[in-house]
Amino acid sequence: MSIVQLQNIRKVYDTKVAVEDLSFTIEPGTMFGLLGPNGSGKTSSIRMMIGITVPDSGTVSLFDKPFTRSALGRVGYLPEERGLYKKMNVLAQLTFLGQLHGLSAAVAARRATLWCERLDIVEAISKKTEDLSKGMQQKIQFIAALLHDPDLILMDEPFSGLDPVNAFLLMSTLVDLCSIGKAVIFSTHRMDQVEKFCNSIALIHRGHLILSGSMREIKSGYPRNRILIHYEGDDAFLQHRCIENVTRYNGHAEIRLRPSATLADDAQSLLTKAIQHARVSRFQVMEPTLEEIFIEKVQETLPVKTGKLSMAQLEEEDGGELDA
Amino acid sequence: MHNVWLIARREYVERIRTRGFLITTVMIPLIMGGLLYGSVFVNSKSAPAAHIALVSADTQLALDLQSELQQQQAVRMAQPNSSKVTRLTVDAMGIGPDTRTILDEELRSGDLDGYLWMMPASTVAKSEPSRPTFLFTPRSSEQDSLRSTLASALGPVLMRRQLANRGILASDANLILQPVDIGITQSAHRDNRESSQVGVFILFFLMYMVIMLYGMNVARSIIEEKTSRIFEVMLATIRPEEMMAGKILGVGSVGLTQVALWLTAGLVLTAGGQGIHVVLTLAQVLYFFVYFILGYAFYSSIAAGLGAMTNSEQELQQLNLFLVLPLLVCFATLMSVLTYPDSTMARVLALIPPFTPLLMYLRVSLGHPASWEIALSIVLTSASIYVVVWVSSRIYRVGVLMYGKRPTLPELLRWLKYS
Repeated sequence: MSIVQLQNIRKVYDTKVAVEDLSFTIEPGTMFGLLGPNGSGKTSSIRMMIGITVPDSGTVSLFDKPFTRSALGRVGYLPEERGLYKKMNVLAQLTFLGQLHGLSAAVAARRATLWCERLDIVEAISKKTEDLSKGMQQKIQFIAALLHDPDLILMDEPFSGLDPVNAFLLMSTLVDLCSIGKAVIFSTHRMDQVEKFCNSIALIHRGHLILSGSMREIKSGYPRNRILIHYEGDDAFLQHRCIENVTRYNGHAEIRLRPSATLADDAQSLLTKAIQHARVSRFQVMEPTLEEIFIEKVQETLPVKTGKLSMAQLEEEDGGELDA
Repeated sequence: MHNVWLIARREYVERIRTRGFLITTVMIPLIMGGLLYGSVFVNSKSAPAAHIALVSADTQLALDLQSELQQQQAVRMAQPNSSKVTRLTVDAMGIGPDTRTILDEELRSGDLDGYLWMMPASTVAKSEPSRPTFLFTPRSSEQDSLRSTLASALGPVLMRRQLANRGILASDANLILQPVDIGITQSAHRDNRESSQVGVFILFFLMYMVIMLYGMNVARSIIEEKTSRIFEVMLATIRPEEMMAGKILGVGSVGLTQVALWLTAGLVLTAGGQGIHVVLTLAQVLYFFVYFILGYAFYSSIAAGLGAMTNSEQELQQLNLFLVLPLLVCFATLMSVLTYPDSTMARVLALIPPFTPLLMYLRVSLGHPASWEIALSIVLTSASIYVVVWVSSRIYRVGVLMYGKRPTLPELLRWLKYS
């Protein structure tokens, strides 16, 4: 059984292609990362999953059935642009939103209170929404998406603007939900978050799917040729012959090794060399980060540009377009 | 339908609770009632009163005149519109040595508004029929009008004297001098026409104001939800059409509540009061609600479309014209329709949907539209409401998710084609 299945969906706004030939499947119990720079089609894809917009072609299936609005009762959505009724009392607001999802007023109010306790914002319950801090409002919105116990949870940039403590609180809540079989999709351009929590991802760029699959599969397709080293003292070892590229920071360096059949041995010899010259406090051999993989993939699919691309550049390039 | 109800209820409850609602509900009738009562009050206060003295050597003449004046006053007071009748206080007195000095003194101090000095008919030439001479001394030019009052009272008094001189009994004389009273009967439907015009006029204003106010409220609340981005959350659960319908119904019910409160308050207040008689028949009130609902549905749907197209109040102001213009046309033709509710112009205008709610309501209340005209007006307006709602909901569906610049006309037309 699959929770979400997209098949060759395509959406065009006026002249701009938002999503082109996008397909992926999400199983229950998956933490699914939908990745891409701003304006790459993440929000458009999510909107099509919940019927806010309809794809021009292709099919969307929720819970193994072609999309119908009745499936929306099992979906919780936290949009990228947060929105609550400002003047409304928090409990009334949550109750109202719960009722729209088909809960009775009493059940909605009871669950809202429980959730507020769980997320540590009990004091907010009786307040007006506009009197709350931004972080608190975000938690309220988060609760609103989960109140009706959905089987599919869509989170569009859920942690933007949250402090680390609260971001962790929400994240661990999502992980808990995932472990009891809910599917969580979260869309973000923060690769580091995805790397930590997601077990499955889809990378999209300019509406095209450029990479998808389970995190382990994707990573295992790449050689462990990245080295992170923290050291004190002489950095002459960075001239080692098997280093292709190095980025120096204060007290540490990120190294990429030359492609070779004996990467593991190269890394060992580099470590030996480093110990001779400097005091090493950390030495880690890794696969490329998701960010690096993403950039590499984008460069493969695009007309090759000179120089090294970074996420920041990608976003700049696309950021100006309408994220509709 | 359940969702529409939820949205409408939220909209209703949140709005009713606001201070703004309380203030407009209480203040507007207070201001309007204050103005009405104020003008009546000022009228009754300024209902002129005058204190005059009648001076005559022939005391009987003075007394006769006094009683005649009082009698005429009583008759005038009994007629409608009596608030304008001058209330006279009349003293009759003989002539003493310093009467004139005393009276002049009282005039100056304002105790007296004027005195009538009556000289008996000259006795020198008895053969010639002579009449007494009268001199009126008013305090200021304001009291000049008293002269005609005095003159009209003096006529019968003198005539009665003449008749008595010719040997006619006083009772006969009274019979002869009985004033002619022409009664007024009115055709049934014109009954109380004037006061009902006032009532209809007030309701017209009310309808205009509430449609305008709450139509704009619909647009404003859509813009507000657009800026607060609550739409995405809502649209992930319910259809845009449900949301628009709920909003229009909710805001409209607030308007209806307000109107109902005002009407009730108005009826209660005027029931006991004098001076203001707002007479409304049940049919007039019923038609008011029918056309009010039609008008509100029509204009608030337009407003919903406008709200969905725009991103801020300022932008809305620019498009405001689409809402205000038809209402202004109604206003411009108000006077002519009010006076000639059955003229060709009124009949044609009242059938054009944007004008129907206000103008047909006037015609129904004051004129004699044929029943087919009423039926046609309701059918036409309902049909056009359907069209407006259809167009608006299309615009709404696409527009609520569009942020950024305002759409151009070709873009709008394209929106209509989106499914």
